[in-house]
Formats: sequence, structure tokens, C-alpha cells
Amino acid sequence: MIHVLLLLCMLLQATSAENSLPPEVRTLLQSGSDAESRSDLDGAISAFRKATDLAPTAAIAFLRLGDAYMKKHDYAAAIRPLKRAAELDPDSLVVHRLLGYALLTEGYASEAIPHLELVHEYGALGVAQLQAGQPAEAVASLQAALAKSPNDPDLLYYLSRAGDEMSAESLDKLLSAFPDSARAHQAKGRTFYQMKMYPQALQEYEKAILLRPDLPGLRLELGQVYAATSEWAKAEQQLRTEVELQPGSAEAAYRLGDALLQQGKMEGAIEELRRSDTLRPNMPETLYALGKASAASNPQAAEKALNRVLAMEKETQLAGAAYFVLAGIHRKQGKTELAAREMQEFRRLQALNTPQP
Amino acid sequence: MGHGRSRPNTIDRRQFLQVSALGSSGALIGARRLLGLQTKSVSEPMFRLAPLKGVDFTLLNSPTPQKYLIETMPGGVALLDYNNDGLLDIFFVNGGHITSPMHPPFSFGRRDPRYWNRLYRQNKDGSFTDVTEQAGLASIGDMNYGMGVAVGDYDNDGFPDIYVTNYGRNVLYHNNGDGTFTDVTAKAGVAAGGWSVSAGFLDYDNDGKLDLFVTRYLDWSVEKSKACGSLEPTYCPPGEFPPIANILYHNRGDSTFEDVSMSSGIGAKKGHGLGVAFADYDLDGYTDIFVTMDVVEQFLFHNNGDGTFTECAFDSGAALANSGKMLSGMGVVFQDYDNDGLPDVLVTQLPHEPYVVFHNDGKGSFSARELETGFGAISGSTGGWGVGLEDFDNDGWKDVFIVQSHVFDNVHKYDSSLHYREPPLLALNHNGHFERADAGSDVPVAARGAAFGDLNNDGWMDVVTTALGEQPQLYLNRGGRLHWLTITLHGKRSNRDGYGARVKVNGQVRFATATGSYLSSNDKRLHFGLGSADAADVEVFWPSGIHQTARGVRADQFIVVEEAAET
Repeated sequence: MIHVLLLLCMLLQATSAENSLPPEVRTLLQSGSDAESRSDLDGAISAFRKATDLAPTAAIAFLRLGDAYMKKHDYAAAIRPLKRAAELDPDSLVVHRLLGYALLTEGYASEAIPHLELVHEYGALGVAQLQAGQPAEAVASLQAALAKSPNDPDLLYYLSRAGDEMSAESLDKLLSAFPDSARAHQAKGRTFYQMKMYPQALQEYEKAILLRPDLPGLRLELGQVYAATSEWAKAEQQLRTEVELQPGSAEAAYRLGDALLQQGKMEGAIEELRRSDTLRPNMPETLYALGKASAASNPQAAEKALNRVLAMEKETQLAGAAYFVLAGIHRKQGKTELAAREMQEFRRLQALNTPQP
Repeated sequence: MGHGRSRPNTIDRRQFLQVSALGSSGALIGARRLLGLQTKSVSEPMFRLAPLKGVDFTLLNSPTPQKYLIETMPGGVALLDYNNDGLLDIFFVNGGHITSPMHPPFSFGRRDPRYWNRLYRQNKDGSFTDVTEQAGLASIGDMNYGMGVAVGDYDNDGFPDIYVTNYGRNVLYHNNGDGTFTDVTAKAGVAAGGWSVSAGFLDYDNDGKLDLFVTRYLDWSVEKSKACGSLEPTYCPPGEFPPIANILYHNRGDSTFEDVSMSSGIGAKKGHGLGVAFADYDLDGYTDIFVTMDVVEQFLFHNNGDGTFTECAFDSGAALANSGKMLSGMGVVFQDYDNDGLPDVLVTQLPHEPYVVFHNDGKGSFSARELETGFGAISGSTGGWGVGLEDFDNDGWKDVFIVQSHVFDNVHKYDSSLHYREPPLLALNHNGHFERADAGSDVPVAARGAAFGDLNNDGWMDVVTTALGEQPQLYLNRGGRLHWLTITLHGKRSNRDGYGARVKVNGQVRFATATGSYLSSNDKRLHFGLGSADAADVEVFWPSGIHQTARGVRADQFIVVEEAAET
């Protein structure tokens, strides 16, 4: 799409520039255009090159030569004539666009940036900035591009990569400037956690807590590490402290409730999960956990919580899990037909949400 | 080891009703208690790792860089009294030799004595003597890589027979009653083939003759083998290979068996079977079958009573974990953990999910209660294999002992929080809730099999375990002050072993079986902890339909209950 617009623009500008050229050059340009229309790109390149020889100061000839190379996907060869065109006609937006793309395609991201900036080509500019190690600038450019094309998968992909790079850059700064700070250890702990290097993550979080025992969030994250290794009693201990530090945190209450649920401490789990639901209502995960925790002692409350999950989640894995718990409740109540239907729904959603090999 | 044979009391129907008080080990236990011996302080662990004197067996699995999947799966152990001298003997299944890589014709070097299965006879002083060769159990055949063992008196001659599962051909050894065994596989027609894992004897049609169930893992062969793993080669998950059906053999009563897998419905469902356990979960008088499955839904075969089975785990609530996730099911036990009289199912599996308890809710339905029972708190970071639900502290509640390890010998490279070798898990049962206790060893091993029984006849349950590349371990129960009762069933109209009987003692129920755990066969005697009660009311519901009762049976003794001619 971008390329089509570029070409239209280029052709309009080229027509007016060509009128001032000597007839033999105009003939060569016309001959090149004819060859292009026959998909004879080699013929077109030959004609445009002759035109640049005859008119070495004609920007349009170099532009047409560069464009022909780009059509042939020979971006390396396109760069030289396009650079010459830019020298001869520094105000030509078409030239900057093509040159920016050619440079970016060939990996000269830094060089491409000023050309792409000039033409407000934000998508390509973001990519160039990302490749040139300017993630913060890349995020801004890609967000600008996404404002125009919100569902472009390429732009979304590069934006997510730019976010990662930006985060890594901030982390590098943090670690080099304050290597022994609580935040540095927290950041390292988080990285180890993401890499499933749980023993190392535990060490880092413990160091961070030693330095800043009152820092909110640390124990929440440490609790998640313990949860990942199924050390639920230790997770509970950390999450209880986190809840004291952040009594208004729905996430802390949810995670504590889940840690209690995993240990079979149903009463405590229900209390924390209800509190979480009050702090931040209608979180499907909280309601699902509440349903599980209540299933044995208060099936009515469990059904209510799970039906709230199903009201929000339609075709998801969590909806399937809610049906599974409901089936267990109803089977125990002797409602076997209802349980069987719920198990079928569970199975359907399980199949729907399981990636096929 | 506090040995000394305790001669069991034999109680026929008439005596049984009157309650026998003949010589038992009770007096000895009482004397020890007075002297302060064999009493366990609160801080002491339940077990101590004791040497198996005279046992020089090493489970050789032959791990290779090719990661042949069979390498990580053996091997079983059986506790049986093969010579009926009242002392439990031990049979170990060995793996085999695997070359790296293997080239056809494939041989597992089972003629080499290092790779033999081994039978050890227990002596009166608690030591063991290797009787493998004289018993005729030496080489099981070069083409067979060993897996598990089942024990049962299939011909009702009073001597326990041994069935060994393999990758290759399974072998049935008939106990000749004179200390020797004869390979009767060909005549019996129970060789199976492919990759068999666990097996067990049961009388599914209540005809008084033990039938045989065999789990099979995968449609796998050395030729089809491959390694998986992104960081370095490791064992492939089961989904990389086609599923396969389990096998049910019906005992014709003439020392031959008929493969009824298809006609019974057992063979209709394919999966990745590993463990097997039996119990009559709906109390209809017929033995049902639970098969653990690796990363597919678990199988619960309901016995329809007409020679057929219906697989109903999904609709019964016994197919998936509490989370709705599939289990990597390995070991299994099918007994009543909460003393409500209905057998429940406990399944061990790989880490990141707790071991699963399927509570029998009655009316044929189960609910996964791993969280309510405390397994969420005590498992999830370890992989479990052999498992037993036994009352180790004799308080009247069945406890859990699980041997642990991961499948991958290089699992730490994939997840640094996981370990290939693990110590066992002991969890004591407090009114249906399990809490971790000191098992008496924190030595990590790559454990696989576990068999449960009272090895030294002191009334306290012990455990014998196997581990890859290692010698077996004996977890000897230190004993304590509480009372117990151990019952041997002697079937007449029912099968001789009494497998399939439901025995109720002071409100507790055990289903008579030697099958369960992983690859292993337990002491067939039924052990009950009685707590502080010094007497017990006993009821036996035989597979034949005969029902016997006795009140006020004195505690701390071994008794034999013979099946009456009629109720």
C-alpha cells in the first residue's frame, strides 16, 4: 500500500520534472518506463542508466534508476542513484522515502532514520530506530504509526519488541548505576523468574527484601516465585506480609487467597478472595478461585461465583475450568445430567483452547 | 530388626465368631512396651533406613545418550511369602543392558547375572539369602527389558505365583511349592508383548480364579525410539508415541488364560497406561479397575458384572485433576483414606501439579480433592512413583508414603527448581488431611518401585523401594505404642488369596489386593492400625458373597480368616 502511494506521488512529480529535460533523455526515460510496464526491469535499468549518463544533474533520472532497482529488489544497487538524487533534489520527499526504505532494507538503520523522519514514515522509522538501538524513540514512532493503522500485525510486533528493548535498556542503566540497590535485585529476580531460574530468583528477592523490607511489591513477586515451585507455605508467608504492606491491593489479596487454596486452607482462602473481589470486582481469576474454594463448604456461593465467571468468559480456557468445577458440584448433588452437560462444555472449550500440534 | 516368626492364628468360621486368643505376637509387643522398647518418641522419624542384609541387588537401567524411553521406567519390587514360612521374601525386577546405541538384533543382556531379576528369601534372623538361581528365576530372556511384578496364587494351590512384565515378553512363573518356579508363560498364554508396565491379579468375574490385568504404556520399540529436548537430549513425552490398549486375561481354571481385552471392553480404549489398582468402588460386589495414564485422561473401568467393563473416569469425575488438567499419572493406590468405607484413588504424578486424590463421593462419583486433603501443600515440586496408603503409625488412619524422582535425569537443565533424585514423601493422615512427616531419610535417589508390608512381623508397616542405578532401600518402621491387627485371608469359594474381599475393622475398610503402587506388589496381608483400641470388630465381605463377622478380636496379632462355606 505504502509503495503504491509512493509510486503515484513519484509519477506526478516526475512528469513535471521530465518536461525540462533534453529530448534524448526524455526518450530514454520514456523507453525505461515502457520497459517497466513490460516488466522488463533490466531493460528499464539500462535505459535509466543511459539517461543518468546523458544528464548527470537530472535528479529525476537517478530517481527513476533507483526506483527500478528497488522494483527489482536490488536495494543495495538502488542506494547509490537515490543518494545522488537526494543530493540533486534535497527537497524531494519521494527520493527520501525510497532512500530511507532502501537503506533500512540493507541494514543501514541509522542512515535511514533522517530520511524516514523527513517523510513522517513512522512505521519504517520505528523499525529503523529499534534497529539503531533507540527503543524509546522507536516506541513513540510505532505508536504514531499504530494510531493510523491500529491492527497492523507488523507494527504491533515491532512495538512489543521495542518495549522489551526499552525495558532491557532501563534495566541495564539500573544495574550499572545502582547494582546493589533493592530495585536492582528485584529486577534481576524478575528476570530469573521469567527464565524459570527459580533458585536464583529467590536469592535476588531475598537480597532485595534485606535492603528494603518495606518496599511494596517485593513480597508479591517473591510469593509468585514460591508459587511457581509449589512451595505454598512459603508463598503464603510472603503474601501475608505483602497484604499488610498493601491492604488495598486486590492482586495481593488474590494471590494470598490462591496460596491458601492450594494448601487446602479453604476458610482463609475464601476470606482473601472475597476481599480481593471487593477491592477489584469482576476479575474472572478471582471468581474462579473463589468458586473452587467454596465448592465443598458452600456450593451455592461457588455456583454464584462460577456463573459470574461464565458471564464474563465465553469461549476461554477459564470458562472451561469453571464448567469443570460446576460439574463436580452438580455431580455430587446428584444432578448427573447437568454435570454431564457441563463436562461436555468443559471438553469442548478444552479442545477449542488447546493448540493443535 | 525385631524378627522372630509370629505364627498367625487361623480362624475358621466357628472360631472366628468366638474370637481366637491363641498365641500371637501381642504378648511380645506388650513385653516390649513394658520394657520401653520399640516405642517411638515424638521427635523420632517414623522409619529408619535399615540395611537389607544379604541383598546385593542393584537396579541396572543402563541410561544412554540415545535416551531410550524404557531406561527411565523400571523396576518393580514384590513382597511375598513364596515358601509360606511366615516371613516376607523380596523379589526385584531388573532393567537390562542397553548398548549405546542399540543395534539389531536387540538384546538386553539378561543372561549376565548383573541383569537378572532377584528373589531373596528372608531368614529367621531378618537377613536374606539370594535364591534366584535355585528358584529357577535367573535369566528372563535376552529380549526382555524388565519393568514390573505381580503376585497371586492363580491356581489356588496355596503358593504365590509371580508375573513379570517387560518391554518384550512378559513371563508367568508358577510356584511349584518346593522353593522353585517354572516358566509357564507359553502354556498360560500371557506373554502380551510390546511394552507392559504394571500388572495385577484380580478376580473380576468372582469365579474363584485369579485373572490378570496388564497395563501398557506406549506403542514404542527400540527402532521407533527417539530423543527429545531443546537444550540437550532427554526422554520424549508420551505424546510422541502412539497410545496402546491395556490387556485383561481371564483365568480359564486349567492353568491357561484367555485374552479378553476386546470382549471385555478393556481393549477398546487406548492410552498411556502405567499404574493399576483394584477396588470395588461402588460396592456392587465386583472389582473395578483404575489405570493411571500419562498425560491423557485417567481410566476407571467399571465392572458391569457380566464380564464387561465400561470406562467411566470422565463422567465419574476421576479423569482429571482438580484444576481440570490432565495428569501425568504414574503410581496409584485404591483404598479408603477418610474411613467413610468407600475406596478412594490416590495418583502420583510429575511436578508442578500436586498428587491427586479422587475422593469417592458415593453413587459412582468422585471429586478431585488434592487441595482439601493437603496434597497441594506437600507435593507439586516433586515427581512421584511408587505409593502406598497404609497406617504406618497405627492410629486408625491410613498414611501415605511416596517414592519420588523426576523422569529426566537432566531435568535441572530445563528447570533448576527440579531434581532428578528426590527423597521420599511421608504424609501422616489426620482425620483425612495429610501433613508431611519425617520419612527417616533425606537421601535423594531416582526412586521408582515401592512395596509395602510388615517385613519383620512386628505389626508396623515397612517399605521396600527401588531406585535406578542403586541398591534397594528398606524403610523399617520404628514402631510405637498403638495397637494393630493383621489379617490373612484364605479363600475357599473365593480365590485362595481372597483378592477382592472387603474387610472392615473397627469402621476402617481395606480392599484385599496386592496390587497398587507402581510396578510393584505389596504384602497381601491386610494391616489395620487400631489406635488405642485393644480389640477389634471384624467383617469380611468375600467376593463369593459370603459375609463373616467377629466382635472383640484381640489386637496386636496376626490372624487368618478362612472363608466359610456359607454366610
